[in-house]
Amino acid sequence: MSGAIVASGLCKAFTSRSGVLVEALGGVSLRAEPGNITCVLGPTGSGKSTLLRIMAGLEEPDSGSVLVGGKSPEVITGDIGYLTQQHTLLPWLRVLENIALPMRLRGADAKERESKAREIASSLGLGDYLDLYPYELSGGMQRRAALGRLLAQEAGYWLLDEPFSNLDERTSHSLQGLLLGLVREHGLSVVFVTHSVDEAAWLGDRIAVLSAAPGVLAESFEPALIRPRRRLSEDYGDIMERIRRSFESILGEE
Amino acid sequence: MPETQPKATRTRRFARKHITSFPDTIKGRLALGSVLPALMLLAWWAGIRSGTAVVPTFTEVARVLLDPFEVPSDIYSRSLAFSTFITLMRLALGFGLGLVTALPLGLLAGRYRTVDRLLAPMVQIARPINPIVLLPIATVLFGLASLATVIYGGHESWRYDIMDQVQLAMIIILWWGAFFPIFISTVHGVRSVRQSQVETLELMGASDAQVFRHVILPHTLPHAASGMRIGMGVAWLVLIAAEVYPGTRSGLGYMLCVACKTSDYEYTFAAIIVIGIVAWLTDAAIARLEHSTGHWQAVER
Repeated sequence: MSGAIVASGLCKAFTSRSGVLVEALGGVSLRAEPGNITCVLGPTGSGKSTLLRIMAGLEEPDSGSVLVGGKSPEVITGDIGYLTQQHTLLPWLRVLENIALPMRLRGADAKERESKAREIASSLGLGDYLDLYPYELSGGMQRRAALGRLLAQEAGYWLLDEPFSNLDERTSHSLQGLLLGLVREHGLSVVFVTHSVDEAAWLGDRIAVLSAAPGVLAESFEPALIRPRRRLSEDYGDIMERIRRSFESILGEE
Repeated sequence: MPETQPKATRTRRFARKHITSFPDTIKGRLALGSVLPALMLLAWWAGIRSGTAVVPTFTEVARVLLDPFEVPSDIYSRSLAFSTFITLMRLALGFGLGLVTALPLGLLAGRYRTVDRLLAPMVQIARPINPIVLLPIATVLFGLASLATVIYGGHESWRYDIMDQVQLAMIIILWWGAFFPIFISTVHGVRSVRQSQVETLELMGASDAQVFRHVILPHTLPHAASGMRIGMGVAWLVLIAAEVYPGTRSGLGYMLCVACKTSDYEYTFAAIIVIGIVAWLTDAAIARLEHSTGHWQAVER
């Protein structure tokens, strides 16, 4: 069981190549509880990815702070799992080697890491793909393998930046279901960045809507719906509608 | 009115990876690949028919190729096999020296700006200098000093004779020719490492050495292998030219040059054929390395 991820008053600005100061985050405070999925929903340029990079300790905020399980993210080694469209599998390693990589880095012996990686892979439905390279897999299978690597890393905090985008609806729904199961089973603290209202509504125990740049917390939802959420239920339609309205009002401001 | 079929267009032809109208099978490739060599043989045959003394017959050249251990004592006193062996030994040492210096320096210069700033000006100045023009000065500097001078210091034995064929001046210029392509490709390889992959490893708790071992090295190796292919090509060009240069007493370049002077053109032709085939094999070997380390790249692009 991991602790909470607490961000308070995060501000971050970048200087563009032409010398213009671009404010990405304008003071975002957010709390992600263990065993929960906190979805961050926001338009392009609202600083969602910057927020996640700061939480991972890959960027320094200009002001404000992040505590991951009570510690500063830079001093945490190995307990933060980070997955984006770019932070994917290593293309020169087979699926099994990719999943086993975190254990290899920890110095686990070859036999142990292989049996553990096989176990993880088959639990994710990757049993038939162990000897393939990432480029030989479908987009959905690649994401499964990346989730497998996070499991092998045994990270308690998962920071996911649009991990299921560019997939067909059926595949992304099944991956959402898979993620939900993992979060419940391992008591993970998850921050899930997305621009899909449906994804946020289905996954989020808490949904934070960010405004357009510079991103600030515009509204926050905690849908009290029974899991697993049924997309066709009336309650689900209601919460979707409320989030969508909030999101559209932000887009309208642009 | 009858519907007319739209005319077959030839758009998007270039979007396909390969444009070929020839069957893409092993037989098809063999057939296509042997067209130019066949034309070459035809030209050779025409040369024989013309009756010029410069062009040896197929049988004369075949005799030399099929009996590589024959020592034509009156002229060179070195067999074709021995010449090939000496050439390969020089190549291996010169190219090997280039590889073991260019790879680590390239990795360092790609990773550390200080090393790059230290090396870059010298590399830019030295790189365009044709290694062949350095041979006279290298010969003056090292004289006829060879591997034998370094290792045996003057003892006479059969090993001494072989080592003595590997002149230091030649190794230096081969090193010069092989170094730059490998160095530059390696630097480029390290620089093109994806930051996201480094971040991924660091978040998993990897040390600097582990990032190097699991990201930088596997990413850079195919780039380095491409540089090795170019470096090997340069080394071949430099080596044969150097073997023609006065002061050499063996090697395929020496053999073909001396045979020309004594009008034994079958040896010249045989040497040229061996150079072509052996160079092709060394290239194929590195191409294999390039593919096995970089098969994942084709899909990345």
